[in-house]
Amino acid sequence: MIADRSPIVGHAVAAITPLALLIGTYLLFAGHNNPGGGFAAGLVFGAVLILRTIAGVQKPVDAPLLMAAGLIVIAIVTAAPIFWGDYFGDQAVVSAELPILGKIKSGSALPFDIGVTAIVIGLVASLLDGLSLIDADGDLTT
Amino acid sequence: MSIALLLTVGGLTSVGLYLITSRSLSRIILGFALLGHASVLALLMSGGPAGRAPIADGSGSDGFANPLPQALALTAIVISFGLTLFLLALASRQKDHTGDDLVEDDIEDSRIAEVKQ
Amino acid sequence: MQQVIWTLLGAHVAGVVLAAIAGFRSIRAGLAVAAFAPTITAIWAIWLFVSQDGLAGADGPPTSELVWVEGLDLAFRMQVDSLALLMTLLVSGIGALVFIYAIGYFAPDAAGGATFPPTLLAFSASMLGLVWSDSIWTLFIFWEATSITSFLLVGHKNSDANVQTAARRALMITGVGGLVLLAGLIILAQDVGSSTLTNLAAAEGSRATLAAILVMIGAATKSAQVPFHVWLPGAMAAPTPVSAYLHSATMVKAGVLLVAVMGTTFADVQAWKVLGLAFGIASMIWGGVGALRHVDAKLILAWGTISQLGLLITLLALGTGKAVFAATSILFAHAIFKAGLFLIVGEVDIRTGTRDIRKLGGLAKSMPITFAVALLSGLSMAGAPPLLGFPAKEAAIEAVLGLSGWEQIIGVVSVVGGAVLTVAYTTRFLIGVFGAGPDTIVKPRRLAMTIPAVVLGFLSVAGFAALGLVNDIVRPAAIELNAKSEVYGLVRWPGIKTAFVVSMAVLIVGFALGVGAAARKVASAPNATGADAADGLIDGILSNTPRFIAVVQHGSLPVYLATMTAAVAVAGIAFTDQVSLSHLQLWDTPLQGVLAAGIVAAAAAGAAVRSRLGATLTLGATGIGMSGIFIIHGAPDLALTQLLVEIIVVVGFVLGLGQLANQFPTVDNAWRATRLAVATLGGLAVMAGLAASSANPSGVAPIEDLTAGAVNDGGGNNVVNVILTDVRALDTLGEVVVLATVAIGILALANTRRAEA
Repeated sequence: MIADRSPIVGHAVAAITPLALLIGTYLLFAGHNNPGGGFAAGLVFGAVLILRTIAGVQKPVDAPLLMAAGLIVIAIVTAAPIFWGDYFGDQAVVSAELPILGKIKSGSALPFDIGVTAIVIGLVASLLDGLSLIDADGDLTT
Repeated sequence: MSIALLLTVGGLTSVGLYLITSRSLSRIILGFALLGHASVLALLMSGGPAGRAPIADGSGSDGFANPLPQALALTAIVISFGLTLFLLALASRQKDHTGDDLVEDDIEDSRIAEVKQ
Repeated sequence: MQQVIWTLLGAHVAGVVLAAIAGFRSIRAGLAVAAFAPTITAIWAIWLFVSQDGLAGADGPPTSELVWVEGLDLAFRMQVDSLALLMTLLVSGIGALVFIYAIGYFAPDAAGGATFPPTLLAFSASMLGLVWSDSIWTLFIFWEATSITSFLLVGHKNSDANVQTAARRALMITGVGGLVLLAGLIILAQDVGSSTLTNLAAAEGSRATLAAILVMIGAATKSAQVPFHVWLPGAMAAPTPVSAYLHSATMVKAGVLLVAVMGTTFADVQAWKVLGLAFGIASMIWGGVGALRHVDAKLILAWGTISQLGLLITLLALGTGKAVFAATSILFAHAIFKAGLFLIVGEVDIRTGTRDIRKLGGLAKSMPITFAVALLSGLSMAGAPPLLGFPAKEAAIEAVLGLSGWEQIIGVVSVVGGAVLTVAYTTRFLIGVFGAGPDTIVKPRRLAMTIPAVVLGFLSVAGFAALGLVNDIVRPAAIELNAKSEVYGLVRWPGIKTAFVVSMAVLIVGFALGVGAAARKVASAPNATGADAADGLIDGILSNTPRFIAVVQHGSLPVYLATMTAAVAVAGIAFTDQVSLSHLQLWDTPLQGVLAAGIVAAAAAGAAVRSRLGATLTLGATGIGMSGIFIIHGAPDLALTQLLVEIIVVVGFVLGLGQLANQFPTVDNAWRATRLAVATLGGLAVMAGLAASSANPSGVAPIEDLTAGAVNDGGGNNVVNVILTDVRALDTLGEVVVLATVAIGILALANTRRAEA
């Protein structure tokens, strides 16, 4: 583990993490009106995940679980409109007045993007496994 | 259409094709990545010239770059990303078996060629 | 009337299944079941002729259409017009007789019960489909079906090497001919813009000439015209019912039928007539000569068939109203007498054990009924009164006498020459089989074999007696082919005219020649040079195929890739003439030019370096350059995504490279020049295609609509992302499924590693 040998690396990675999570979250929510979106967010989260895993700050995550969750969310969001008479994949838009944040306009595109994010994180996480960097117990090979 | 971009597409395609006809899987992956770049760029160019980013800010759509090829190109980038990751994993497995990442001749085809000669 | 086509074809298909089931017990049971469908079809056809309003009724001819691809003119189209009905009489009428005959021909315990009857019925159905087709595509499908069923039937005794060779030869020649025909039909359909056979427009010009040549060659292979005739004598290896049915009455007439149907379409194409005359005259003469040389009675008939088919092609190629009428009449008469003669040869073969005319003798006394039938059918073939063949041959001679110029000279010489040869080989056949010679031991008669032969022999007489009915059958068909045939009819007694005098002279000369030929003892059968050459060609193709495969399918994946690339790149050359420089500008902004140069340089460096890490870094540089291009182009989403993708890919490469050698292996140097050439060609082709596409814009980009739609309906300002999550939501759904699939693939690869460990 790199973090064991070099505490500086461990601390640096730990320090970067919240910043990266913030950027990723921003991208996820900004996507509808500004550059960004679920895929970009997923790549940022995935990059952080690789960084943390390689550094030894955290255990590798369960990639299949993330992907399954993402696919289920997407399936529900795209199929749901059928049940109230709209066509498959139709998008609902809602806007609400919230304290502090002011007027928020969002829609079913948001859960769709969240699903995409989860799948992309799962894909990036599976790469470590594919490159023989994870052993049978789910730990990083040294 | 921009000649600079046209030459970029041609150059990326040529280098990409040169690399994918290689025996080394990691070179083939490089080649695929370059071919991906070339096709994304080609898609973008076929939609029209450069322009403003197509993000509505209330000032109308004058001077916008065509958003449709961008949406298609985004999908193309994502898919070639997935392909690249898969090929990386494949190269890793190839190394487990043979010690390097060389693409061997198709065993069944070679067998046919040997038997019939 | 619409349903009748499907009902009858359905009866055939059902019969194929039932015959296979019944035939498991014995071949005779299978044949008896299979005979049903042709019998009812023949009865239906006869009923249509006898009933007054038949085809001319208010409904018009029965038609049927199943549209396959709307707008592409692809349809399963059938129409039973007068010509089709005439052919139906032959296909199903003679078919029913042959099925009954085959019951007597095969021993009760003969092998192949589950295969032979259904295959014979399947042929019958294919042949019916062929004559009923009203679309050239439908016709082609059934055309090929008859070739395949014919192959299976010829190869019935599949344990014999000679039979195998003969069946394969027949399949290869008719099969290749079928492909040639298909090429011709495609060109024709493109040229005249329709695939419906009825009222097919006349074709003209160089494309029509090419189509005419291809169609004529296709027809010549099927109808065994010289030099493609070599398969027909070999096909005599088939059981005799098959020879009688396929190789005299029906399948070999398919080519003749096609030439007849296409006659008006290619009427103005000189090559059609010239090629048809060349095939026809050569076959008429060479077939007649062949029939005089062989000692196997069945081969005499086969060569005679080649000659008769040549006569038909000659008359149809001449294409005058009288010639077409004569051809239609001979088509009808020939099927009856030639099938009858084949049935007789089969009976002789079964009852004496040989078909060699040198070993047969005294059969006129020991097989009197068979002899009587042979005499009737044989004289009809020779064109002697008072039999059906006589007025038909009179019509042919009149037709060629009525021509003018060089056509008259060629026509008269060849038709009269062919007729003399026909009389000669008929005489030799009758004397050889039934005349004096070593007394042959004859087994008892089998009724199932005798009755069909007697029926066919009787028809040659009855046809002459009831010539009016034959005219009713033949004339409408001839009129359909050529409207000028309307004024002609078969005449029982023509009076002392030129044609009659010629006809009588032909009979006398031919008879003398035949007697002389019969007296001349032939030591051995002539060698089959043509057949050997065809077999050699086929063997050569078969034995060289593995070598060809070994060269083409060598197993090297890079070479496969390079080959495909080169092929696609060569196709890209087609775009070069559409490239227009006026649509091109140097760059959108100078910075774009700088980035472009950087990207290409980085990519080229990536290909050149030998260090894996170096190559990875150039890939990262290329990706960052691409991001820059995207920003300049006004695509911030692409730029952002490309940058993030590049980071992950480079990290993945670096993590993966730890397991590999630092340098690329040097195995690719051998053919580097070829790879460079192919790659350069590919790049140029892509550039040509892109430049051509920019010169031909298909419309104005709907940027305004997309923007308004995104803001108002999609509820978002980022047009690109709204397109992805809303307009193309289904595509995006597919995309994430692809990503999940990739991840599953990666994890599965990892699992195989764990399983090995």
